[in-house]
Amino acid sequence: MTRTDTPDPGLDPDLMAYVDGTLAPERMAEIEARLAHDAQAREAVAQWRHFGNLLHDYAASADDRPENLQIAALERQLARKLQKRRWRVVAFGPVVQRIAASVLLFAAGWGTHALYGSGTGNGGTVYPQFVSHTLAEHTAYKLAAFERASFEAYEMDAALDWMSQQMQQKIDSPKLDRLGYQVETARLAVVDNQPVAVFYYRNPDNERITVSMTPRALEQPDYSLRVAERDGERMAYWSSEGLHYAVIAATDAGSITTLAAAVQE
Amino acid sequence: MSLKTELHTHVGSLRRYALVLTRDPVAADDLVQETLLKAIAKSDTFQPGSNLRPWLFRILHNTHVSELRRAKTRTDASPDLPDPVARDCQHTQLELKQVLGALDQLPEAQRMPIILIALREMSYAEAARCLDVPLGTFMSRLGRGREALRRIVQGVGAGKLTILKRKEGDA
Repeated sequence: MTRTDTPDPGLDPDLMAYVDGTLAPERMAEIEARLAHDAQAREAVAQWRHFGNLLHDYAASADDRPENLQIAALERQLARKLQKRRWRVVAFGPVVQRIAASVLLFAAGWGTHALYGSGTGNGGTVYPQFVSHTLAEHTAYKLAAFERASFEAYEMDAALDWMSQQMQQKIDSPKLDRLGYQVETARLAVVDNQPVAVFYYRNPDNERITVSMTPRALEQPDYSLRVAERDGERMAYWSSEGLHYAVIAATDAGSITTLAAAVQE
Repeated sequence: MSLKTELHTHVGSLRRYALVLTRDPVAADDLVQETLLKAIAKSDTFQPGSNLRPWLFRILHNTHVSELRRAKTRTDASPDLPDPVARDCQHTQLELKQVLGALDQLPEAQRMPIILIALREMSYAEAARCLDVPLGTFMSRLGRGREALRRIVQGVGAGKLTILKRKEGDA
């Protein structure tokens, strides 16, 4: 509705939206037609715009100022605080509380003594092959020599169907979006004539996670959940329902377990 | 956009807003520093997933208002405004000085919406959240403030601008 009878242009939301460029395009012509016949409104609009331009340009002169090192240091400090806050809220949010409950069940299935057991040491530790391979995938970021197919994020549904078929085992997408991670790519690699599905995730702060799923042959061991560290990377690995899982990220032991539970859930 | 990048963008906006509020680049940076210190102290109150910009602007706004209340003498004791940063011709500078002077005569409730919208960085709704007022109240204050600003500038500025134009014409 156009308010041609409003005496005070300052009370007309259409005129304000017109000046501030927030008016819907289909209303622009209507307001312009009105302004052509309403000198009072026309003058008001011109002056609001002019004063707005003066203030905008004056404010923009702050950009010409040199960087303030104290502000930059405080900005970094605040970024760290907010990042921690984000993680804490995620860690205690309803989604992760549910996942945390499944972490307990997840770990309890094998007995908690198994959780942080062997594999936490450094050199000399031998990991199952599916873990070593995933670690290589994570650190070298795709070993093209073993690749059979690669998929972008938008192809994920088709990728899961195809990979399930190739692995003769139904695989589901790791549900890490609930923890703020988005899938970047997925690929099917072949190691020792065995297919391995690998998923690469990243969060807005550029933190990467690599998840792998490998079919477990009948003669292979059934691994209980283990959390290990190597070269600053945390690894969680376990076997469940005919698959070996490995999750690798540069994070702490608690977070890697949460991530593992989110993958398993 | 990562948190660091987002925060850096907002700090740039805070510096622009603070400059118009204080009219002094050094005081503006002091205000932004004070804002960031308070934000660090209050970081536990920020709700991740909510919009960071209104949260930061609200802290800056409240810090500025508290500072004004503490040092109310600023406008009372100094009738002359600090010279704005020169960016354009003398005429524009005089106009800017008039607009800034007129802004100072407006009640704070009308002044803040005008400045926030002049930054052209946020919607009406977001700006209303910065000032912690309902959208309807914000719109009403913005509209009334703009009209009041216009009346003040017209009343104050007509004489000075006429003289300036005559001088420019003589030159």
